[in-house]
Amino acid sequence: MSLVVRNLQRAVPLRRARLRENVQAVRRALGVQRFDLGVICVDNRKIQQINRIYRDKNTPTDVLSFAFHENLKAGEIPQPDFPDDYNLGDIFLGVEYIFQHCKENEDYYDILTVTATHGLCHLLGFTHSTEAEWRKMYQKEKQVLEELSRHTGTRLQPLIRDLF
Amino acid sequence: MLPLLRCVPRVLGTAVAGIRAAAPSLPLLQPASRPCARPFGLLSVRAGSVQLPGLLRPWGPCGCGCGCGGLHTEGDRAFVEFLNDEIKEEKKIQKYKSLPKMSGGWELEVNGTEAKLVQKVAGEKVTVTFNINNSIPPTYDGEEGTSEGQKVEEQEPELTSTPNFVVEVVKDGSNKALVLDCHFPEDEIGQEEEDQSDIFSIKEVSFQSTGDSDWKDTNYTLSTDSLDWGLYDHLMDFLADRGVDNTFADELVELSTALEHQEYITFLEDLKGFVKSQ
Repeated sequence: MSLVVRNLQRAVPLRRARLRENVQAVRRALGVQRFDLGVICVDNRKIQQINRIYRDKNTPTDVLSFAFHENLKAGEIPQPDFPDDYNLGDIFLGVEYIFQHCKENEDYYDILTVTATHGLCHLLGFTHSTEAEWRKMYQKEKQVLEELSRHTGTRLQPLIRDLF
Repeated sequence: MLPLLRCVPRVLGTAVAGIRAAAPSLPLLQPASRPCARPFGLLSVRAGSVQLPGLLRPWGPCGCGCGCGGLHTEGDRAFVEFLNDEIKEEKKIQKYKSLPKMSGGWELEVNGTEAKLVQKVAGEKVTVTFNINNSIPPTYDGEEGTSEGQKVEEQEPELTSTPNFVVEVVKDGSNKALVLDCHFPEDEIGQEEEDQSDIFSIKEVSFQSTGDSDWKDTNYTLSTDSLDWGLYDHLMDFLADRGVDNTFADELVELSTALEHQEYITFLEDLKGFVKSQ
């Protein structure tokens, strides 16, 4: 099903095709290729606005996820009854924030991929409010990124490795 | 005085048919008062004849005494006065007195309402063409959404020109141009700040000969409506590599808006001169 990529910002140049390719690979690794997904690239101003409205945090961030299927158990793949419900939701990527926090030895698109993986895991019910939850999410992200690394030769690490 | 003409979707060239400014009331159609050339008695109308309204009287020397031979009605005078005020206001709110420059080394050519941006980079010539006619989308006042106590005057939206634009890419030594028809998103009613459309989108792609000035319908035209998204993203990356990216699109809107405003003011001035016909 469809992966919709949108670029709403001009702060950072973006290779849409490369981002799409990477996110497609993440979808395959998670086994959710048959679900629609939106990836929207925004700047600091926009992601800060969304963060403020939906999380009451007036600060830019790297990723915000809006799940179509709420209350999924961590890692549960939805089993919709209707074709229109084959939708995971939307991930807003704060590409300007990510670019600004990218270290010198890090590849920007690798970090985008890692961040998108984190966002996608949130859409599948993973959270990291407690250490137990974090462990589950970390393991899943590690599994997905290892599979990606096997194909691309990169060594991607989960976004939340240092959270607990 | 508020620039009222710009707040109402214009009659000419708008997508919203049927919305017109209120017609002036009849008294304004009467001819300007003239020095009385004849005693009142001789001005009476013969019984049974029909007095023609001022506008339909045969053309003759202008009644206002300017001697130009044109028709100057009371309505024309009011119209000219209105235009004077409008022109003053429009010049006051004019954001750019001269057209803003595009970043990225684009050369601008303007021919009336059509503008061309040209760039030559590494063996390629890229031309972006747009026309400011019909480029201002209709604005909706959203009356239901107006909160209590909010004055209508505070809600006047800033008009921006978002023209469709055509990108032509020609590689040196070739007579084939890759032509991409690009659009800005159309605002949907009720859509607020959370719109998730790309800043601009590609609608159609085609190859055209550089020698032909007219678009050939017999050349295959790819519509992006049902295009593979991966291919679409490659096309967008292709444009971005040639300087047609989101920054370019935003700057094009600024340029088009400035050009449109300039042309609008010129039109108002021409209209004033025409109505005055002096």
